[in-house]
Amino acid sequence: MTVPKEMPEKWARAGAPPSWSRKKPSWGTEEERRARANDREYNEKFQYASNCIKTSKYNILTFLPVNLFEQFQEVANTYFLFLLILQLIPQVSSLSWFTTIVPLVLVLAITAVKDATDDYFRHKSDNQVNNRQSQVLIRGSLQQEPWMNVCVGDIIKLENNQFVAADLLLLSSSEPHGLCYIETAELDGETNMKVRQAIPVTSELRDISRLAKFDGEVVCEPPNNKLDRFSGTLYWKESKFPLSNQNMLLRGCVLRNTEWCFGLVVFAGPDTKLMQNSGRTKFKRTSIDRLMNTLVLWIFGFLVCMGVILAIGNAIWEHEVGTRFQAYLPWDEAVDSAFFSGFLSFWSYIIILNTVVPISLYVRFCAQVSVRPSCLPPGGGGLPRRPVRVGPVRGSLPEPDLLSPCSVEVIRLGHSYFINWDKKMFCAKKRTPAEARTTTLSEELGQVEYVFSDKTGTLTQNVMAFSKCSVSGRSYGDVLDVLGHKAELGERPEPVDFSSNPLADKQFVFWDSSLLQAVKTGDPHAHEFFRLLSLCHTVMSEEKTEGELYYKAQSPDEGALVTAARNFGFVFRARTPQTITVHEMGTAVTYQLLAILDFNNVRKRMSVIVRNPEGRIRLYCKGADTILLDRLHPSPQELLSTTTDHLNEYAGEGLRTLVLAYKDLDEEYYGGWAQRRLQASLAQDSREDRLASVYEEVESDMVLLGATAIEDKLQQGVPETIALLTLANIKIWVLTGDKQETAVNIGYSCKMLTDDMAEVFIVTGHTVLEVREELRKAREKMLDSPHAVGNGFTCPEKRSSAKLPSVLEAVAGEYALVINGHSLAHALEADMELEFLETACACRAVICCRVTPLQKAQVVELVKKHKKAVTLAIGDGANDVSMIKTAHIGVGISGQEGIQAVLASDYSFSQFKFLQRLLLVHGRWSYLRMCKFLCYFFYKNFAFTMVHFWFGFFCGFSAQTVYDQYFITLYNIVYTSLPVLAMGVFDQDVPEQRSMEYPKLYEPGQLNLLFNKREFFICIAQGIYTSVLVFFIPYGVLAEATRGDGSQLADYQSFAVTVATSLVIVVSVQIGLDTGYWTAINHFFIWGSLAVYFAILFAMHSNGLFDMFPNQFRFVGNAQNTLAQPTVWLTITLTTAVCVMPVVAFRFLKLSLKPDLSDTVRYSQLVRKKQKAQHRCLRRVGRTSSRRSGYAFSHQEGFGELIMSGKNMRLSSLALAGFGARSGSGWLEGLRRKKSDSAGSPSAGPPKPLRG
Amino acid sequence: MKRTSEESQSRLPDNSALKQQQLPAYRLQLTATGVLSGFFATGVFCLGVGIILILSAKSIKEIEIKYTKICGNCAKLREDATNFDKECTCSIPFYLSETMQGNVYMYYKLYGFYQNLYRYILSRSNSQLMGTDLKDVGTCAPFSKSHDGTPIAPCGAIANSIFNDTIILSYNLNSSIPIEVPMLRSGITWWTDKYVKFQNPRSKNLSIAFAGTTKPPSWAKPVYELDKEDPENNGFLNDDFIVWMRAAAFPTFKKLYRRLNRIQYFTEGLPAGNYSFNITYNFPVTRFRGEKSVVLSTLTWSGGSNLFLGLAYTVTGAVTWLAFFSMMAIHLMLKDRKMFFTQPAIKSSFKKKSRKQRMNSEVTNRAKDL
Repeated sequence: MTVPKEMPEKWARAGAPPSWSRKKPSWGTEEERRARANDREYNEKFQYASNCIKTSKYNILTFLPVNLFEQFQEVANTYFLFLLILQLIPQVSSLSWFTTIVPLVLVLAITAVKDATDDYFRHKSDNQVNNRQSQVLIRGSLQQEPWMNVCVGDIIKLENNQFVAADLLLLSSSEPHGLCYIETAELDGETNMKVRQAIPVTSELRDISRLAKFDGEVVCEPPNNKLDRFSGTLYWKESKFPLSNQNMLLRGCVLRNTEWCFGLVVFAGPDTKLMQNSGRTKFKRTSIDRLMNTLVLWIFGFLVCMGVILAIGNAIWEHEVGTRFQAYLPWDEAVDSAFFSGFLSFWSYIIILNTVVPISLYVRFCAQVSVRPSCLPPGGGGLPRRPVRVGPVRGSLPEPDLLSPCSVEVIRLGHSYFINWDKKMFCAKKRTPAEARTTTLSEELGQVEYVFSDKTGTLTQNVMAFSKCSVSGRSYGDVLDVLGHKAELGERPEPVDFSSNPLADKQFVFWDSSLLQAVKTGDPHAHEFFRLLSLCHTVMSEEKTEGELYYKAQSPDEGALVTAARNFGFVFRARTPQTITVHEMGTAVTYQLLAILDFNNVRKRMSVIVRNPEGRIRLYCKGADTILLDRLHPSPQELLSTTTDHLNEYAGEGLRTLVLAYKDLDEEYYGGWAQRRLQASLAQDSREDRLASVYEEVESDMVLLGATAIEDKLQQGVPETIALLTLANIKIWVLTGDKQETAVNIGYSCKMLTDDMAEVFIVTGHTVLEVREELRKAREKMLDSPHAVGNGFTCPEKRSSAKLPSVLEAVAGEYALVINGHSLAHALEADMELEFLETACACRAVICCRVTPLQKAQVVELVKKHKKAVTLAIGDGANDVSMIKTAHIGVGISGQEGIQAVLASDYSFSQFKFLQRLLLVHGRWSYLRMCKFLCYFFYKNFAFTMVHFWFGFFCGFSAQTVYDQYFITLYNIVYTSLPVLAMGVFDQDVPEQRSMEYPKLYEPGQLNLLFNKREFFICIAQGIYTSVLVFFIPYGVLAEATRGDGSQLADYQSFAVTVATSLVIVVSVQIGLDTGYWTAINHFFIWGSLAVYFAILFAMHSNGLFDMFPNQFRFVGNAQNTLAQPTVWLTITLTTAVCVMPVVAFRFLKLSLKPDLSDTVRYSQLVRKKQKAQHRCLRRVGRTSSRRSGYAFSHQEGFGELIMSGKNMRLSSLALAGFGARSGSGWLEGLRRKKSDSAGSPSAGPPKPLRG
Repeated sequence: MKRTSEESQSRLPDNSALKQQQLPAYRLQLTATGVLSGFFATGVFCLGVGIILILSAKSIKEIEIKYTKICGNCAKLREDATNFDKECTCSIPFYLSETMQGNVYMYYKLYGFYQNLYRYILSRSNSQLMGTDLKDVGTCAPFSKSHDGTPIAPCGAIANSIFNDTIILSYNLNSSIPIEVPMLRSGITWWTDKYVKFQNPRSKNLSIAFAGTTKPPSWAKPVYELDKEDPENNGFLNDDFIVWMRAAAFPTFKKLYRRLNRIQYFTEGLPAGNYSFNITYNFPVTRFRGEKSVVLSTLTWSGGSNLFLGLAYTVTGAVTWLAFFSMMAIHLMLKDRKMFFTQPAIKSSFKKKSRKQRMNSEVTNRAKDL
């Protein structure tokens, strides 16, 4: 099995990749694949992977050993175990064993439970996918078999709307010529239907008996991840037939509009292209996690240093004092020298001081690994039923449990719930709330710098709406109010009423009734305009019941145009290969379709030539304005200029425009032209060019009819969101599989690209050299530009440490880069990737079009690797899965048809605009809270632990603890955990509205300002400062003081209680200061913790417990005796004041002298000066634009031929016969040849004429 | 977020304050008024308490006499453990220039004696000391059993190392006749220690109760013969023993030994005059280079001498006030540049910062223009 070449290595190294149950072929790497139909024995010897997928890790028997083994591979657990073993050595032990074993067992147990639950869900989802039924042809009969039993070489039958179970070679289908239609949304995100065709020899195998005898052998390339390529050969009946992607049905596709089809399994299970394309599941860690790793190492080093210092101290003390003190305390038998005593005391101190290592934070890494859901592999073979409007289906993610042992996890869990609960991220239309599917990434949402977005379905709704049009110099479609002025958004009048037209589409909405008036009053231009729209297209119609028309459009644009014509009274009803029937204002008119001059990328236009019932021949053409305006008859100059103005206006609004024109042809001319065309199409060489010039000839001197403007409907609030995110210094890259024109168009309409940009670089090179040259030119331009120096919309400075030569980073920002798939493939090669990245980062907007799913992931990986920035990928389709998995944070748009993206994502919601709330509100708060939490966490642990260090100097370095053992056990778990947890969950610095109004508030997260190494050291320093005071003030006081009754105060137990109480009070006051948002819960926890401390203290020191366990509770009577002393309270008060005052003073001074933005916003909040948000002002305003949108057909070339050949018409064989007889078989043959050529099989067998 | 909600009509999250993060809350802000008045108040409080503490500490009379060197011959004698049965006494005369008013307490003080060593502190058996199980010496290493295996009572290093000097204070009313100052040996322990933590085994006769145990190796007498004069003060309930068993936190410590019985001449306290300490020197300290002393001291409301606490309070108060004045000055200075606290500050702070931010504010403006 080959590891796909393009799979980045990093994917392989990720944690524990789901293990596929793949059997390696015995001879190692597969070089080619052979599969013989209906011959399982033959195929078995290759040991190809079965169609069973396995993502689970354990079974009941292996669970305990494997899980424990895995857990003890975690550093934290091993460390715990090590400490535990240390404590069992009596000479070393300085704490009772339960201080370590309790947490260890707790963590192991909880992790095991989590792992077990996760694996259970994996088993369940695997089973679900593996047990889907499919019809397999076994020994001459069709049998229902679960998917997992499907083998390479089997022939399976698929029915309409079924998911394809494995990668199949299409053998035959219910449709003529072995055609079938598939939807590949799960695979590449494109929702338009695609055609696949069986090779002619097999397309005749339509019944089971013949199929059962089929024994062809497929020899093809080994499994790979290229979705659009396949090369292989079918050997059958001693001849060879080339196979291409055109003959393949891939796992994850859905069969549409085809009653049934048969396919031969070529790749199964993990070998399918879908599986090969899915990046391995990788456990995501936040950058704070990674920072923590470093910090934990440092702290560990610090711990060892302290241990060494104290051990040396111990050795010296034992040598100088201890030896003389032996009468009172002889050395332990095992200890024979001061040096050895020092050595032992080193380990004792490691045990005592280990509370500085935030091991309870570190533990989560083991927990985290199991928390992440191992998602269904994308398109784990599709879904049992289409989950379309049922609301999002929950994936394999179990409900996060609340048992998580570590506070960080709890906090993140809380933040995740806040996201789930957020009403403002609930989409009413789809009834979908936002969902945090991963609970471990929340604070990273506050640090995002790059957003990679899919286009279709994410930025746009993938709904085209006929929005405006210009008919012979008059523009229609503006929303007008009663007085005829352009209406403001939001105060729309009633839409136009189409009820008079029985065939109208109810969904269609148009706002300008004057157009309907014009049609009704019989304006000839308007009539011709809509006639054109109803004739010039490749849409197929389906009329299930009378009047209920369904259009099957290949591109949504065309559908929108034909639907518009339908509603305005020109209803396209039916077509045959040579006729088009249109209901014009209620009367059926049948046009004879003479020719379709099909669309292609170069022509950017399509035409039809029709003969109307009166016999007049007319050419109707629609196409991109840039192309078509040159081919118009020059006469009505005025019309041309007004139409051009309209076009500019439409384009300025981000609409996709088309220009419509017609031309009358006389019979004679047409006859000649048809002849020329036939010749051209029969030509053996350069047929394309010759046809193009023939087309060119007829499409000239046309008469302008008008223009249409189609709105590629953006999701709600997209431009606003993008503007806001841009203000928050987040860069947005659009990665789309769509065409360049469409992508650029959307770029404009969502304000990523604007006309005030200095330049939009378009990289379309096909070779390495071209691409390099284009990138170089772009950079030169940026450097040369007059505003090169000055305001830089640059990547923040912190990345100056990155390897990039960052000259360009300082360059002016008003550039954009558009790069297409071919070029990107070159740009992503190792030697050019840095160049590309540098260029792209200097641009304000980057759009990559025509990119494959894997390229999306590569782009994300590139930025991740070199920019050291947090990336977020957002998408809705299966083609975004790899990108979503690669990025630090993956967001899936839910409520769409496919849920693969959602399953792979970390967060999901149903509208792109919620991204701003996710990042600017939830993300920002999460980051803030997490940073505050971590700072405080380190602070309190250092304050707590360092006291032992100081005490070491007074107790002969004997590893004596300052506090009671129970205090040590409970300090972190009980006394100080809840208040900081409440802060970590609930804290807010500024209200949520402010973080939307001042996107700049997001910046600290991107720059890592709130928790970094510097902040860490400040916390540590503060902790040590506190520990010094908490130790030395009681020391100074108690050493000399006596109690009110004259007895000594400085006994060990009283000292312990005094220090512990001071510490608890100091850290409680500190958390009170750190808590910026005192909810009732905070009050409850903070006061509650203090109360609990005193309650437990008195309980532990009570007579009752002592009577029961005299050797365990030695502090009997201590609390009441010590805390009754005024001196002790004066000491505690003083300690608290001295610990807290400098912090308050420092914060106050920082606030006054160097306030950061959030402080300022808070103050302004206080002053209550309301300022309205900037983003409200971002209304769509027409630009004077020099740019026109390109031709926006997103369909493929070749549909015209299909229509003309009648192949895709089921009941058209008769008509076909007539057609064939008239226009000669040569024409059809030409088409077929072209078809097979375009299928990429030059060595095709001799094409058989369809009709002899 | 329960699964049932999926089936229910609406999946709209609850509109509760908790779930929408809109809980009513107090937003903590360090306002100038709050901080400054807080500092001022703290300053006043600290200074006040500090001065009171210093004054009361000054009112305490205290005498400390180190007698390790004065009783040098005894110290030398005790360095050799074989001389344990030789008695050595030592008399230390001193002059009290002022009357010590009120209750007077006598302490012994040890320098360099580590009662806080980890193994030392653990080396005791609370269940034995409670009198419930005399044979429970499991936690007493290295002094749990004698060589012949008899459990030691009281066991452990703490008990074994008990301070066993006898100190008697004599008052020379006239130059010739010394009067022994009446001292109470009771009331020097915590109530909980005496009545909860330490209990003698239940038996009429202590010596029978302690049968089957042996005395600690350093002890001259068994535990039930500690106080010949007061039979109630024997066994584990001996006050000196209880005091000793409450281990000190630091290597230098003083422990309450006796308190003045205010009768006869001493109803007002210790009158000025000539006194002497008569010490039976048993406890060896020179072996570990320690020192011992005897302390006489009076008390105030807050206990014994607390000069440190008073000074610390005073210094803290002073520093707080200093901080208060400097912060006040800074605040007043900034108040002129009021913009910090009002709206325009947001933009001005942009402008002051880096180029990048300037750029961004332009973006903001541009967005506005749109």
